[in-house]
Amino acid sequence: MNHIPMRMHAPSLRPQKLTRRALAKQQTREKVLQAAREMFIERGYEGATIRDIARAAGMSTGAVFASFTDKPELFDAILSDDFAALLDPMQDAASTAPSAREALVAMFGAAYRMHFAQLPLIQAALAASWTRTPEAERLRRETMRPIRGLVTEVLERGVDRGELTQRFDLRLVADVLWDLFLAGYRPAAFDGLSVDVQTDRLAERIDLVLAGLKA
Amino acid sequence: MASVRATQKQSTRRKVLEAARDLFHEIGYDETTIRAIAERAGVSVGSVFTTFASKSDVLSQVMDDRVESLFAELDRVARHLRGSVIDRVSSVFAIHYDFECRRVKLFLAHVAASFSPTLEASTIPYGRNSRFKGMLLDMIAEAVERGEVRADADLDLVLDTLMAAYAWNYRLAAQRRADAAAMTAIMERQVALIFDGLRP
Repeated sequence: MNHIPMRMHAPSLRPQKLTRRALAKQQTREKVLQAAREMFIERGYEGATIRDIARAAGMSTGAVFASFTDKPELFDAILSDDFAALLDPMQDAASTAPSAREALVAMFGAAYRMHFAQLPLIQAALAASWTRTPEAERLRRETMRPIRGLVTEVLERGVDRGELTQRFDLRLVADVLWDLFLAGYRPAAFDGLSVDVQTDRLAERIDLVLAGLKA
Repeated sequence: MASVRATQKQSTRRKVLEAARDLFHEIGYDETTIRAIAERAGVSVGSVFTTFASKSDVLSQVMDDRVESLFAELDRVARHLRGSVIDRVSSVFAIHYDFECRRVKLFLAHVAASFSPTLEASTIPYGRNSRFKGMLLDMIAEAVERGEVRADADLDLVLDTLMAAYAWNYRLAAQRRADAAAMTAIMERQVALIFDGLRP
């Protein structure tokens, strides 16, 4: 494979023909998600109550619970959207880069750029990721699969181009790179590092890991 | 000689930390209330709060107390480590995984809490304990002296990269119930990958 097709994984967003009732339900859901996102960013996960979210959405708490069973489910729905939204920018960033190394730096940099504007939300997400229910975890893995797959694709492309060797299992390498990417969120949150600084720091770590794969 | 009052305070502190350690592991951090900790410890809720600022403070003190026995274990083993830098570093991480997996839910709660936007000033979040890192840094520096690792390697960067891989491997415990042996096996391969690019 010599290139990453654009939007290869883009999900079909065109809704099925909806009944009026289903449409109203979907609109309520969207409204709740929007209000909840703002509340979570403003107050953090613990700080935002369903009551606050309902008020901000201009509806009753009962109406919120008609769309989501509890706060964790609501929170996960927002995060799934947020991580799914990373896919296109990351893919675009990777597709124009001249080398595997540049592609990795560009795609992770693009992800940081999107997420750093809402760090409290991502921080809460990362905190939650350590103590999820198995079902929530399964759903999250489904959401992340195409994005994590991008990393492996970039490495495979590097091998095809003769930049990298396959001396190490590429999935192992992709996992380490992914860990290093995630590890960048905490310094960003606590030390207030900018997107550019954090991307540079990650680039150094990417170089370190790729050094073992140099052709 | 410590006053009766100071001794009492010390004893409350110890009881609270033991109760909290067990509850965090048994039912999880989020589900554990200060009230439940006080009840298990056999002290009043008020006396918990005179010793600790918050639940996250209790958690960080629990973790800090345990660290002593981990270091004792590491010190004992470190002197006997032989072989390549990959073997030595992997052994240190293996000891960490063994240690933390004895109460893995407690450890995961500690990691999770370290992402909290509302940490108390007195709380030591996971990953900010510099004693952990000194030992590994020494080990890598020795490897440079032995000519196993490039002299111009950025040791802090190497350490930081190793620590990130180490920490995020706990995801396997959190999400797939991986045990210490499984995490150690993966970490060994990651350590080998990282050091491979550092050969002189």
